[in-house]
Amino acid sequence: MTGTRSVQIAVLGTLAGLAATMGTAAETKATLPVRQVVELPVRDDPTVSFRIWLKVGSQDDPPGKEGLASLVGDVLAEGSTQRNRYEKILDLLFPLAGSYSASVSAEMTVMAGRIHKDNLERYYPLLVEAILEPAFKQEDLDRLKSQTLNYLENTLRYAGDEELGKAVLYNAIFAGTPYGHVSEGTIASVRGITLEDVRGFYQRHYTRDNVVIGIGGGYGKETLDRLRADLGRLAPGKPPEVPPPEPKPIRGRQVVIVEKDAQATAISLGFPIGVLRGSREWYALAVANSWLGEHRNSSSHLFQVLREVRGLNYGDYSYIEHFPGGGHLQMPPQNAARRRQIFEIWIRPVPNEARHFALRAALRELKLLVERGLSEPQFELTRGFLGKYVLHYAPTTMERLGYALDDRFYGVDGSHLERFRRTMGEVTLEEVNAALRRHLKVENVQIAIVTRDAKGFRDALVAEAPSPYTYPTPKPDSVLEEDRQIGTFPLGIKAEDVKIVPVGELFVK
Amino acid sequence: MKPIASGMLLCMLMAAPSPGATVFPYKYHQETLPNGLTVLVIPMESGGLVAYWSVVRTGSRDEVEPGKSGFAHFFEHMMFRGTKKYPGPVYDRIVTAMGADANAYTTDDYTAYHLAFARESLARVVEIESDRFQNLDYAEPAFQTEAGAVYGEYRKDVTQPFFLLDEKLRDTAFDRHTYKHTTMGFEADVKAMPQAYAYSRSFFRRFYRPDNTVLVVAGDVEAKATLALVRKHYGAWERGYVPPKIVPEPPQKAERKAEVSYPGQTLPILDVAYKGDALDPGNRDFVAGLILGDLAFGSTSVLYKDLVIRQQKVEFLTASFPINRDPPLLEIAAMVKKVEDVRAVQEAIDRTIEEFQARPTDAGRLEAVKRHNKYGFLMGLDSPDAVAGSVARFVALTGGLDVIDRLYGEMDQVTPQDVVRAARKYLQPQRRTVVVLKGAQP
Repeated sequence: MTGTRSVQIAVLGTLAGLAATMGTAAETKATLPVRQVVELPVRDDPTVSFRIWLKVGSQDDPPGKEGLASLVGDVLAEGSTQRNRYEKILDLLFPLAGSYSASVSAEMTVMAGRIHKDNLERYYPLLVEAILEPAFKQEDLDRLKSQTLNYLENTLRYAGDEELGKAVLYNAIFAGTPYGHVSEGTIASVRGITLEDVRGFYQRHYTRDNVVIGIGGGYGKETLDRLRADLGRLAPGKPPEVPPPEPKPIRGRQVVIVEKDAQATAISLGFPIGVLRGSREWYALAVANSWLGEHRNSSSHLFQVLREVRGLNYGDYSYIEHFPGGGHLQMPPQNAARRRQIFEIWIRPVPNEARHFALRAALRELKLLVERGLSEPQFELTRGFLGKYVLHYAPTTMERLGYALDDRFYGVDGSHLERFRRTMGEVTLEEVNAALRRHLKVENVQIAIVTRDAKGFRDALVAEAPSPYTYPTPKPDSVLEEDRQIGTFPLGIKAEDVKIVPVGELFVK
Repeated sequence: MKPIASGMLLCMLMAAPSPGATVFPYKYHQETLPNGLTVLVIPMESGGLVAYWSVVRTGSRDEVEPGKSGFAHFFEHMMFRGTKKYPGPVYDRIVTAMGADANAYTTDDYTAYHLAFARESLARVVEIESDRFQNLDYAEPAFQTEAGAVYGEYRKDVTQPFFLLDEKLRDTAFDRHTYKHTTMGFEADVKAMPQAYAYSRSFFRRFYRPDNTVLVVAGDVEAKATLALVRKHYGAWERGYVPPKIVPEPPQKAERKAEVSYPGQTLPILDVAYKGDALDPGNRDFVAGLILGDLAFGSTSVLYKDLVIRQQKVEFLTASFPINRDPPLLEIAAMVKKVEDVRAVQEAIDRTIEEFQARPTDAGRLEAVKRHNKYGFLMGLDSPDAVAGSVARFVALTGGLDVIDRLYGEMDQVTPQDVVRAARKYLQPQRRTVVVLKGAQP
C-alpha cells in the first residue's frame, strides 16, 4: 500500500506541472505547417504507419546526464500518460495488435507505430497522448532506468562481444564529442537522472518547431489534418542546434583492447569519413564498400577471404554509415542518421589463436583495395548488384517511410534509394576508385578488440610477432602462400598507442 | 537484366482484407508434383518483388544419430557450396548479379532457404534452386572449412545467457526426444563436424527430397506460368525421403530442476517450462493453450503488471507457447532483479497457474487475445518475403496452408472453460522443468 500512496502523490505533482505546460501550448495552438510533414500514401495498404520524428538525440544529452534523451524516449513510449496508466495503455493497445516504440540515436528520436485501418480510431489517441501528454511518473522512470542499467552493466558488456566491440570503437573515435557515448549513456549518469531532468529535457526538445510528422500507408487526409493539429499543441520553441562533432584526428594505429574472459575475439576497426549520402561521391564509395563488405552478404570480399576460404568466423563486413543492431538486422536500419560517419570493418568473433592473423588479414585487404582500386569486372558486378539489391532495403511502407525521413535529415532532394539505384547506372569505375582513394585511409585507424590475455596480445602486436595460422584441415597452396603474407603483414602498432581496459570498467561514467 | 521501374518503390500495394471467416487473406494455388514436391504459389501485388522459399521439413528434430546434433543447421551452410553446373562461387555470382536478398535458417522442425528478387529473375531462380536441391556437390575440404564458420557461429551465440539457458533446459527436460539439443547442437558435436563428411552426404540423400520439401512462391507472379516452370525444373528430382526414427519422449513423471552458471555478469533468469502438445488445430486443448500463454503471462496479464510494472521485481517476463511438430516446451521466463527474489517470482507464477486452473478467465480478455492474434498475423503480411516467412512454419509442419484458417477458426471457438482445461492439463508440476541461470557477481 505504501507504493500506491507514493504513486498518488507523484501523479498530483505531475499534473500540476503539466497543466502549466499545456496552458502555454494552448495559447499558441497552431497546426503544423506542411513543411513539417513527410507523406508516403499507399492507397491500398490496409495499415497506417507513423514515424513522429523529434530532432533530438543523444548528442543533446547534457554533460553528466548521458542517456537522458534515450530515457525520455522510453518514458514516452513505455510510460503512463495523463489519461492512462501504463498498464491501462497496454490493455488498450493489445486487442488492436498495435504498439508504438521510441528509437533514440545520436541525432534523431522517432516514435514509430503501425496499425490496421480497422483499429486506427482507437489507436490514434493513444499514440498522440504518449507524445503530448506524458505523465512523467517516478515508477515508470525507475522501471526504465533499471532496464537501461541492466543493458549497460550486463547485456552490453557480457552478452555479445560484437556489439561491445562496436560500442568501444565508436566511443573511442568520438571521445570528447557529443557522439562520444552510447545513446543509453553511462552507468553513473543514468543513475543520476531524475524526473526533473526528464521533464525539463522534454520541455526543451519536444516542441512544435522541432517535430516532423512521418505518415505512410492507407491513411486519409482527415488523419493527417488531425495529427497536424494535435502535434501543433506542442509548446513552441527551437532548442539550439548541436554542431556536428569534430573527432580528434587518429594518429597511426590506435588500439583499445577490452580484457574479458572471452572464448573468441571480436574485432572492429574504423576511422571518420567526410562524405554523406546524397552526394554522388557517396554512391561511388558505396560501390567500393559493398564489394569489400556488404552487410550479411556472401558477396562481401572480406567474407570470402576470412569465412568462405578460411572458415575463421561467421562473417566479415564493412560500412560507410552507422549500422546499429547489425547482429540481428539483415538490412540497414532507418532513422539512425548522423552528420558524421565512419568507415568501419566488423570481424565477427574468431578463435583467439586467429586474432592476430584476422586483424592483419582485414587491414591487408583494406590496403590492397586502396592501392589497387576495383577492377572493371568487380565494379560492374557490384554496381549491378547494388542497383537491384537496394530494393530490399525497404520493402515495406514502414521502412520506406523511415527512409523518407532520413532523406529529409540528409537534405536529399527526392529519394535516396531511387538516387542510389539510378546512380548505379551512371557511376564510373574512375569515380569509384577516386572516392575510395580519397576517403579510405589505412594509416590512421582506430581498432577495438574484445579478447582474453590482453597483455599478451598487446605484446604480440607491438612486437610485430609473426602470426601463422594452422588450420585443422588441409588448404590449397595458394591459400597457404597468401597466409604467409598475411602472417607477417606489418601493423605498425606502437606500445603507447595500445590501451587495455577491463570489461568491468566500461560505460561506468 | 531488365531494370525495375524507378517508381516501383512508391507503389507497392498490399490489399489485405480485415479478418473475417478466413484469416489468410490471399488466394493461393497448391499443387503436388508426381515426385511429392508441394508447390504453393501466392500471387500478390508487390511492385515487382518475388519471394521464393524452399522449406525442407527437416530440422534439428531429425538429428537422431548420437554425435550428430547440429547437423541440420550445418547442412544449411553446405547448401551454398554449389553443384558441378554452378559451383559455389558461380552460384554466388549469379545471386549477386540479380541483386537478390538470399539467405537461409534452420529451426528445430525445418530448414528454410529464401530469396527475394525482382520478378524478371524468377526463371533463373527456379533453375539455380532446383539445381542445388538435386545436384549439390562439394568436396571434403570445403566441407571442413564450412565447419569452421559454423563453430564461429556457435562462439558468437554462446556469449548470450539465453543460449546457455536454452541448452540446459532442453537437456534437462528431454530424455529421448531430439528436442533435447538446440538447433546449434552440442558443442562437442559442433567441434567434431569436420570429420563427418560421409554422414553429410547421407543427410542430403535422406532428407533433401521432393517428398520432404515445400516450395512457396509469393509476390508478383502468375500462378500458371510459375507452376509450369517448377514442373519443368523439379520434375526429375527423385523422391526418396527416409523419415528419421524419432523416439517419442516418454511421459514425464516428476518435476525436474537444474541450475546453470553464466560466466559473465547477468541478472538471474528463471525459466519454468511445461511439456505441451504438438500442433493440432483439432485439439481444443492445444489451441486454448496458445491463448493461455498470453492471458496468463503476456504484457496485459495480472502477473506481468504485478511483477514488471508495480513491484518491479523482474526486468522482464515472457511466455513462449510454441507451435511444433512434436510436443515442445511451454516456457515462462523471467529475468529477476535480485537473486533472493527468484523463489518469490516462481511462487507468483505458481499462484497465477492455480488461478487459471481454478476459475474461468474473463471473457473480454479472451476476446482481446483472439483479436490481437488475428490482427497481429495479418499485419505481419506486409511484403512477399514476410508472407512466405509467416507461412513457412505452417507448411513445414503440415505440408500445406489450410492449417492456418483451421487454427484461427478453432481459436475463435475457444471458451473460458477451454482455457481452464488447458491450464489443468499442461501446467502440472509433473510436466515441469525449472532452470535457473545465474551469472558471475560484479
